[in-house]
Amino acid sequence: MAFEPRIVGFLCNWCSYTGADLAGTSRIKYAPNVRVIRVMCTARIEPTFVLKALSEGADGALICGCHPGDCHYVEGNYKTMRRFAALKRVLRTYGIEEERVRLEWVSASEGARFAEIVNDMTERTRKLGPSRVKVQRAADTAAR
Amino acid sequence: MAEERIGVFVCNCGTNIAKMVDGAAVVKAATEMPGVEVACAYKYMCSNPGQELITRDIRDHGLSRVVVAACSPRMHEGTFRKAVERGGINPYFLEMANIREQCSWVHDDPAAATEKATALTRASVQRVTHHQPLEKRSVPMCPATLVIGGGIAGLTAALELADADQQVYLVERQAQLGGNVARLDLTAPYLDSARDLLRDRVTRVTRHPGIQVLLESQVVGLQGFVGNFRPTVKIGTGELLHLEVGSVVVCTGYQEFDATRVRQYGYGRLPDVITSFELEAMLRRGKVETRAGKTPRHVAVVHCVGSRSREFHPYCSRVCCMTGLKYANEIKSAIPEAYVSNLYVDMSAFGKGCEDFYKRTAEARTIFLMYEKNQAPEIRLAGTDPEGGMLIAMKERLSGEEIEIPSDLVVLMVGMEPRRDSDEVARLVNISRDKDGWFIESHPKLDPVATTTDGVFIAGACQAPKDIPDSVAQARAAAARILAKIHQGMIAVDAVYAEVLEAHCSGCRVCNELCPYTAIEYDEVARRSHIISAACKACGCCAAACPSGAIQARHFTDQQIFAQIEGVL
Repeated sequence: MAFEPRIVGFLCNWCSYTGADLAGTSRIKYAPNVRVIRVMCTARIEPTFVLKALSEGADGALICGCHPGDCHYVEGNYKTMRRFAALKRVLRTYGIEEERVRLEWVSASEGARFAEIVNDMTERTRKLGPSRVKVQRAADTAAR
Repeated sequence: MAEERIGVFVCNCGTNIAKMVDGAAVVKAATEMPGVEVACAYKYMCSNPGQELITRDIRDHGLSRVVVAACSPRMHEGTFRKAVERGGINPYFLEMANIREQCSWVHDDPAAATEKATALTRASVQRVTHHQPLEKRSVPMCPATLVIGGGIAGLTAALELADADQQVYLVERQAQLGGNVARLDLTAPYLDSARDLLRDRVTRVTRHPGIQVLLESQVVGLQGFVGNFRPTVKIGTGELLHLEVGSVVVCTGYQEFDATRVRQYGYGRLPDVITSFELEAMLRRGKVETRAGKTPRHVAVVHCVGSRSREFHPYCSRVCCMTGLKYANEIKSAIPEAYVSNLYVDMSAFGKGCEDFYKRTAEARTIFLMYEKNQAPEIRLAGTDPEGGMLIAMKERLSGEEIEIPSDLVVLMVGMEPRRDSDEVARLVNISRDKDGWFIESHPKLDPVATTTDGVFIAGACQAPKDIPDSVAQARAAAARILAKIHQGMIAVDAVYAEVLEAHCSGCRVCNELCPYTAIEYDEVARRSHIISAACKACGCCAAACPSGAIQARHFTDQQIFAQIEGVL
C-alpha cells in the first residue's frame, strides 16, 4: 500500500483554527492527512507536544498561528517562533529531518491558504517517507 | 483513575456530514474505544431532540463524560455544554470532534474522511477522560473609572459615567481640556461652533464633584485586571498618584500628519502653504490672510494630504472632505470675492447631512478639481518673490487636461495619524494596534469599543479616524458598557485559566515576564509565583514555559493534549 503520511496539526483558536473552519464553510478540498488539535494560542505548544507526536508515529507536525502582530494574546506567536527554532535544533540532534515540522501563519480569513499549506505539507512529507522514529518503533515492536 | 463512562454522539448534520462520513462506522468504532458506554448517531445533534438524546443518555446510562462528533466547537460548543449541564454533569465534561468543517466539508474520499472522523473522535474520547470539572467564578468590580485623554471623547465618557454617580479620574497631558476639537472653528456639515460644543462640556467636567481632572498628567503604569485596575498617574508636580479603578477608557485621539513629508507641496518652504489647523487658527482669530498680511483672492484647498496614498497612509482620514467644504463656506463668508478651489481625489460625503452640504457648497461656493490618487499636484512660486503668489500644476482628471491655477493661499488637508506614543499607550494598557497603528477593537462590527483586554475600552479617534458624532457615540457606548458592569457588582471570570501548582513551583520566575497580561505575581515571602485567575486569559504561554511543569493550563493540560495526540494517531 502506498505511504500515506500522518501529520498532527496544532492550531491556535483565534486565527488558524477559524481559518481552517473557513476552508470548510468554503468547501475547499484538501488532503485528509493532517489531524488538528486546537489550542488557545500557539504559545501553549510545548516542543514536547511535537516530540510526543513524532514518537507516537506521526510523520510530521504542523503548527499554525496568527500572523506576527495579530496574536490574540499580544505576542504569543513571537514566543512560538523562538521555541520553534529551539525545537528544530533538538530535532537535528535526533537526526530527524527539519522539514517534518513546520510553523505557518494562517489568519481567520485564510481558509484557502490553510488548504494549500496542508496539501503542500502532505506532499513534501510523502516524499520524505515514513519518519525514522516510526520505522524504528515498528522494528522494535517486531523484535519484541 | 476512576473508570469514566463516556457517551459518544455522532451528528449526521442532515447530509452535511453523512454524505462524506459514514456515521454508523464511526459509532461502531467508538463502541470499541475504552470507557465508551454508549455511542449513537443522529441527524441533527444540535436540535432539541438531539440535545434531549444527550441529556437523557447521561441520566439513563450514568455517563460521566460526553463526546459530540459534529461541527466545529466554535459553532456549538456552548450549546452542547449547556446540554451536558442539563444532564446533570459539569459542562466542561464535554469534548467535541470537528468532523464537519475540518472533515466532511473538505474531503472527497468517503473512506479517508470516515477514517479521519474516527481518529478525531478517538482523540476526543481519550481527551475527555482527563477533563476536570471547572467552575465559573466572579470577582468584585471597583466602580471608579480611569479616562485617559480629555478630548471630546474623554469628556463625554467622563460626564456620562459621573452623571450616573460613578467616580471618574480624567487624565489629560495638556494644561487644558478639549483636545483637537479645541483647535477648530466651525464644524461640518451644520457649521456649529466647536467652541460652543466644548465650552459646556468642559465647564461641567471641571465642576463635577464626581470627576477628578488631572491636567498636565500622564498615566505611567497600569497593574491589575478588569474590575481591579491599579493605575499610577504622574501629575504636574512630578508626584505619583496611585489610583484604584475597575475600568479604563482610552481616548487618546490622533495627531495631524506632518505636511513637510509631501515635498511637492512645499510646506515649510513656501510661506503661504498652510495646514488645515493653521487655517482653523486664522478663522478663530477672525482674519484669513497671507503671511504678508494681504487678503487672498485665490485660495486652494488640497485634499488627502498624507491620506489614501501609497507613500504615506493608505487609509482615508474621513473628516477632511467635509472640512474642506467647510473652508469653502467659511472663506467665502469672510472674503466674498475670493475664488476657492478644492483639489481632491474622491469626494466622500457619507455622513448624515453631508451629501446636502456637498451639494450646497458645490452650487455656489467652490470649484472642484480632481487629481489622480498618487499623482499629487505640484506647488511652486509664480515668480521670484516668495510673497508674490503661487502656481499649482496638476492633471485634472475630469477634463483630462494639464492645468495650472494661481493661488495666494494653499490649505493642506492634513490627515489623522496615530499619536507618536500610541505604541507606548498600547503596551501600557495592554491593547493591540492595527497595521496603521490605531488601537484594535474587540470585534470590528459587533464589539467596537471593547478591546482584547477585559475592562479596557477605546473611544474616539485613537481607534481610527473619526468625526465628532462618532467619537461621542463611542464614548457613550464605552460608558454604557462600564455602567452595565458596575451595575452587576461582580465580574464573571472564565473557568479556563492557568494556575500554579504551588508545591511544584521553584520560584524561578520565568513565567512572570512571559505573561502578556501581567497576571502572574511573585510572592517574595513564599518564593513562589501565583496567577491572578481574573487577569489570566488562558493563552497557556506560561504553562508551556514552566521548567518545573508547575503551571497547569486548565482545560488544556499536558495530559489532555497528550491523550489527544495519541488519539489522532
